[in-house]
Amino acid sequence: MTQVTNPQLAELREIAAEVLEVEPEELTETGLFGEEYDADSLRAIELLARIEKRFKVDIPQTELPNMIHLRATYDVVAKYAGWS
Amino acid sequence: MMLDHAAIRRILPHRHPMLLVDRVLTLESGARIEALKAVTGSEPCYAGLDAVDGPGFDYPVSLLLESLAQTGALLWLHSAPGNGFPLFGSASDIRLHGRVRPGDVLRHLVRLQHVNAGTAMFGGETWVGDSRVLTAGSMFAVIRPDIDSRPGDRPSAAGPILDSHETGDAT
Repeated sequence: MTQVTNPQLAELREIAAEVLEVEPEELTETGLFGEEYDADSLRAIELLARIEKRFKVDIPQTELPNMIHLRATYDVVAKYAGWS
Repeated sequence: MMLDHAAIRRILPHRHPMLLVDRVLTLESGARIEALKAVTGSEPCYAGLDAVDGPGFDYPVSLLLESLAQTGALLWLHSAPGNGFPLFGSASDIRLHGRVRPGDVLRHLVRLQHVNAGTAMFGGETWVGDSRVLTAGSMFAVIRPDIDSRPGDRPSAAGPILDSHETGDAT
């Protein structure tokens, strides 16, 4: 599912990198947002809001604990956005 | 619609000296707002400054952003009234085009970009006269519903709190 060339994943990486204030290439698919990129709960909510805005999708905040890294975030967004 | 200072205080929990919006000129619910903030030499940020020439009397950018963000919060909270404490989350794509000095009147224009489940994103500009002094591409705020923000002089948040205080319809 998560190939490097996937345009949606690339866009998610851009959004997450902006919120976490790192360069997109520094953000690995399984680097933990909290432990490795110092994200707090406010950053997590911001990430969710930016994703919702960009992809015009509603994602409940109950999914936040599942969005621990880029790949997990992709899976959550894919579920609600209907990406196959 | 226009909001006077009393109406602003019914919506925002901020108080002196950190309430940084004076008057709302126009408000289009859920969409856009235009508000004024007058900067004076008696602001606390200038206390203790002597007759320093130069940048000492530039209005601090942090307060400029806070004033713009409070304008966005007014638009958001007016459009979706409820309990909770608005928290500033982040600002990105900020550009400063000019400086602000005592005597200037800031005119903030803010558009709501996205609202969902206790979060809001908005962007805006600040003008002094016909000069743009600040552009904010994106600001992010959240509502913490578990903190009661209502100060003593705010009426019950049950129901629309503005009905009897809106002053005309300028939009």
